[in-house]
Amino acid sequence: MIPPFASLEIDPIAAGQIVAAVVMGTLGLYFLLPRPRGRSIALGTFLSLGTAGMIAGFLITTFGQPFPNLVENALFWLFAAGAVGFGRVLVMQSNPARGAISFAFVILSSCGLFLMLAAPFLMAATIIIYMGAIVVTFLFVLMLSQAKGASDENDRSREPLLGSLAGFAFMGLILFTLYVTGPRVETRADAAIVEPLLPATGIRTADKLLLVAAANDLDLALDPDAKPDEMLMQAKQARTRLLRVVGSAGEPLDANPGRTIQDRLRNSETDVRIASIVAQADKVRVLKKTSLDRLETALLDREPKLDEAREQLKRLRGEVLILAGRGELPAKNVKAIGYALYSEHLIAVELAGTLLLVATIGAVAIAQKKGSVA
Amino acid sequence: MISLPHFLIVGAVLFGLGLVGFLTRRNLITMFLCAEMMLQGVVLNFLAFGKYHGHLGGQIAALFIITVAACEAGLALAMFLAIYRRTKSLDSGVWQELREDRIPATVDTDPLPTFLEDPDPVLTPAGARPIRAEEEVRV
Repeated sequence: MIPPFASLEIDPIAAGQIVAAVVMGTLGLYFLLPRPRGRSIALGTFLSLGTAGMIAGFLITTFGQPFPNLVENALFWLFAAGAVGFGRVLVMQSNPARGAISFAFVILSSCGLFLMLAAPFLMAATIIIYMGAIVVTFLFVLMLSQAKGASDENDRSREPLLGSLAGFAFMGLILFTLYVTGPRVETRADAAIVEPLLPATGIRTADKLLLVAAANDLDLALDPDAKPDEMLMQAKQARTRLLRVVGSAGEPLDANPGRTIQDRLRNSETDVRIASIVAQADKVRVLKKTSLDRLETALLDREPKLDEAREQLKRLRGEVLILAGRGELPAKNVKAIGYALYSEHLIAVELAGTLLLVATIGAVAIAQKKGSVA
Repeated sequence: MISLPHFLIVGAVLFGLGLVGFLTRRNLITMFLCAEMMLQGVVLNFLAFGKYHGHLGGQIAALFIITVAACEAGLALAMFLAIYRRTKSLDSGVWQELREDRIPATVDTDPLPTFLEDPDPVLTPAGARPIRAEEEVRV
């Protein structure tokens, strides 16, 4: 058990990055916000770019890159920079119509991030609702109410320094909290003490890679042209890989603590999802033993009868792939969301519908002119 | 499997920027858009946690957030129209009479900059007006 504030001592570099990001961000936005005197776009832009660089540097030095490969990393940074950059334009732009357009781009960029988070339905819904409906209607209102020349509402700000300090102090606190609790790239000497305080996920990346590699081995073993000894070799290779993830059927579960999925998750089996992962891992563990035994006995025969062993291996491969996919979101996003909405969240759906109805009636009641007959 | 903190921090930055805009800007529509940007940061957090735990609950929460945001947009639109009809301005400072007792009124001291607007361009007449030939065929 880790005491709650065991890792509060913060690395000076990370602390410097957080403080610099907060100070530079506050000053940058202070210089950018519209007001009659003392506004400096160049200085503000320079400071804002510095802030973005600081935050990105903090992320990379503390947590590493977000994805294992280059393309996904490039897309992540592109979308993140787009969302934050256009958000800054929305906050500082004195022309509200341009602000609304840049808000549309904030939505577009964050929809890219939604797609990276395996939410294609929400991406489409957000683009349609926000960009297609909300931003366009607000542009209409702006057209109806646009004033000529400078105006109080567009060219003045309320407490620019304190306001930007509030926003960036909030951001700095979140950075600090994530630094304290998040899964860091460990560079410190006493790294063993500090463990991520975030809740454990079922299947780690390393497990998943091993499982997929084992499924590939089984694929090779199931190749119809494979000779019996090749088949046995591939199947044994799959077994060694699986041994590291789910353990061996013969030995007790706590033989190698912290290595197998079942052992890591034993304490959190009250969670339904975790329990299903553990059950699947156990299934794979047992099936691995029986199918390998079956294969070996089949090969020991004078005339090897491989069909049954092949069936078993195929089943094992299927179960391994299911285990690798447990802990991931379902591939059929729209179908799964629809099912969950109408099975687990039916009352919430009804309430949302009522809310929409009430909002429609309210909007009609508010917007009608006084004295006119609706 | 994703790296959670990266997405959380992007969400936090969006939320922070939206907060600054909501607190400092005075145009009601800009304030509203900034509030929507804060909601985007929250949605990003929900989706990141949902992906991290492999659970659809995050996406469903995000769906309800979008529903509420749509309601809010409709109501805000109607209110802005009513407010604009009454005061001919979208400035939130107009409504400072509604502030609490004993809080001093904010007064804008600096004069607004005056922009000299260019007059609409006019083409200088050049050459002679062409003589129009009578159309030969009339239908």
